[in-house]
Amino acid sequence: MIAGDQGAILKVDRVSHAFGARQALRGVSLEVGGGEIYTLLGPNGAGKTTLVRTICGRLKPAGGTVRIAGRDPFADPRARAALGLTPQALALYPWLGVAENLQAFGRLAGLKGDTLRTAVTDAMAVTHLTDRARTPVRHLSGGYQRRANIAAAILARPRLLILDEPTVGVDLGAREAVGEVLKALRAEGVAILLVTHDLDQAVTLADRVGFLRDGEKVVEGAPATLIADAFGARMEVEVALRVGPDSAMALRLTGEGLTPGRESGAWTCLAADGYARAAELAARLGDLEVREIRVRRPSLEQLVARMAGERRAA
Amino acid sequence: MTLAMFRVMWLELVRDRAALAMTFVLPSIVFLIFSAVFSGATGTDVRLKVSVADVAHTAGSARLTKALLADKALRAELATPQTQGAATAAVRSGADDAGLVITSDPAAPGTPILILSDPSRAVAAPLTEARTRDAMQHALPDELLARTLRDIGPAIGPLTPGQQLNVQLAEQTARTDPASTPAVPPLVLHQDVLLARKGGANIAYYAGAVMILFALFAAGHGALTLLDERRTGVADRILAGPAGMAPVVSGKFLFLLAQGVGQAAVIFATAQIVFAVPVIQHAGLWLATTVAASAAAGGLALGAISLCRTREQGQMLSTFMVLVLAALGGAMVPRFLMPPWLQSLSWWTPHAWVIEAYQGLLWRDESASALYNAWIVLACIGVAGLVVAQLAARRLRT
Repeated sequence: MIAGDQGAILKVDRVSHAFGARQALRGVSLEVGGGEIYTLLGPNGAGKTTLVRTICGRLKPAGGTVRIAGRDPFADPRARAALGLTPQALALYPWLGVAENLQAFGRLAGLKGDTLRTAVTDAMAVTHLTDRARTPVRHLSGGYQRRANIAAAILARPRLLILDEPTVGVDLGAREAVGEVLKALRAEGVAILLVTHDLDQAVTLADRVGFLRDGEKVVEGAPATLIADAFGARMEVEVALRVGPDSAMALRLTGEGLTPGRESGAWTCLAADGYARAAELAARLGDLEVREIRVRRPSLEQLVARMAGERRAA
Repeated sequence: MTLAMFRVMWLELVRDRAALAMTFVLPSIVFLIFSAVFSGATGTDVRLKVSVADVAHTAGSARLTKALLADKALRAELATPQTQGAATAAVRSGADDAGLVITSDPAAPGTPILILSDPSRAVAAPLTEARTRDAMQHALPDELLARTLRDIGPAIGPLTPGQQLNVQLAEQTARTDPASTPAVPPLVLHQDVLLARKGGANIAYYAGAVMILFALFAAGHGALTLLDERRTGVADRILAGPAGMAPVVSGKFLFLLAQGVGQAAVIFATAQIVFAVPVIQHAGLWLATTVAASAAAGGLALGAISLCRTREQGQMLSTFMVLVLAALGGAMVPRFLMPPWLQSLSWWTPHAWVIEAYQGLLWRDESASALYNAWIVLACIGVAGLVVAQLAARRLRT
């Protein structure tokens, strides 16, 4: 179900594609509506890049269809005219100023005259770059460079904006700045497809999340709904050790139903009564060098870890 | 859209001062260096360094030694000590281009002069011999006369007493006042085919050579931005739009063409100002040749670079292309000094066509009818390269 209120701008319907014997996409379907941020998650090699290339009209899918505003992006340039892409790398000319970059990309998108001038002004306003208009991109800070990278993608007022890891390698401030830009674009009715490994950003920004694994979409929905569906009322209990466990300790922790967490020395489990389980573990593991035991609601990270675990088990 | 990419390339070049200097200042400097080096090496300014050893110690050998040391066309110096070994050592070490040992009196029977040379400077031996003959003719006409009479003696038989007296008088006059000796018509006369103009042939040659060398060098650098755009995602961004990469490639070609014309303008302005090469006087034909040459350089660079996958590959190919084509095409060594098979091979490079076209219009005053072959070949190279680049860009989309 589309979270936006303007209908589906992007419709991907049972798309499949193979590179030789390797099946990269297996009947993936998804829709992104106007005013919606859809975050696509998945491990490396899951098919995210192939899906984005298909949506951008760079690949003709072997099966299924892709439509942007009702048109096929592979065959119809008008479909691509409704699309803006922010690549993962800084896809700008470093010796040119922000405005000069935007003018160049605007012209290459077919804008001219007053339309181009207005588009450049608006794009800089939305991304808060107006006071950096003349600064060469290579002299901008990482956060401003990321904003300029997005500004170049929204010049032609795309109905669909695709962002591939827009905050990779930037600090917290820059990430928040990018988040603000995306919220502003969502408010303007742009359909946004965000491809990222940044789970915090996915939770903060996404109206819906889709998880791709081995070329298949395995889950989709609002982050809170997905977490509730996966974990119900169970809580996560995390045992943090002062030092990494040796093999005997690891065997004991595993015997208690704990699995290694994201941070070094942290082991976790799920429990219906998290606080009771935490007290029980404190008593049973008292002879180990336990730094702290935390109880919290499961996050999207646990969901992703669980799906990755299912993949390993499979 | 095409002009948008032209503007991007222009702004990136203008902002990068080092690249700007290398594009427009360096070619003129290299042109001046090339002109100085190669016009001397292939023109009339060759002055060989020759080590002279007089081991005969006769009056005639002393006169020849003095004449060689005074010859301004040579840089002759006495071997120290005056032995064949010292002269040989000077040549073997590379200190001197050739050695000249006077083993007996120049008028004496036999071969009185030995010339020593290193095979790596083979041209030094005949040049030294030519200067020695010239010195004999002007400074030792009496000795030359005596040698000649001795050489033809067996054919004409003994001289009469009267003839012997005349010969003695002639030898004496020649010895005391060589300048008054009646001039003997030389066997060979030299005549320039372009009597109206002196100097500048080599300059026109190397102006063309440096122009195409740097046009291709700078075009290769500019074409590398195609690979940068793939690496940074600019190509992905553009390919996701409605226009695709076609206007990007066309814009780059247009810019590289304009850049080549700009470079040529600087180089040939230098040639006109410093060496009085008549460029302005042939402005129309010069412009047509320059546009064709720049189109060839731009198209060739774009076509070649578009076939590479990484910047490293592109840089390697670009450098290889610039050096090999320059060497084969006569931009480093004049084509007339190459073996015949290499001269034929050189026509497969744009350099040979560019150099010949510029020499034709600036030195031989050729008209458009003599130049259009070169223009067509160069334009075809440019268009072929552009087509390859466009096809590669089209394949990039999928």
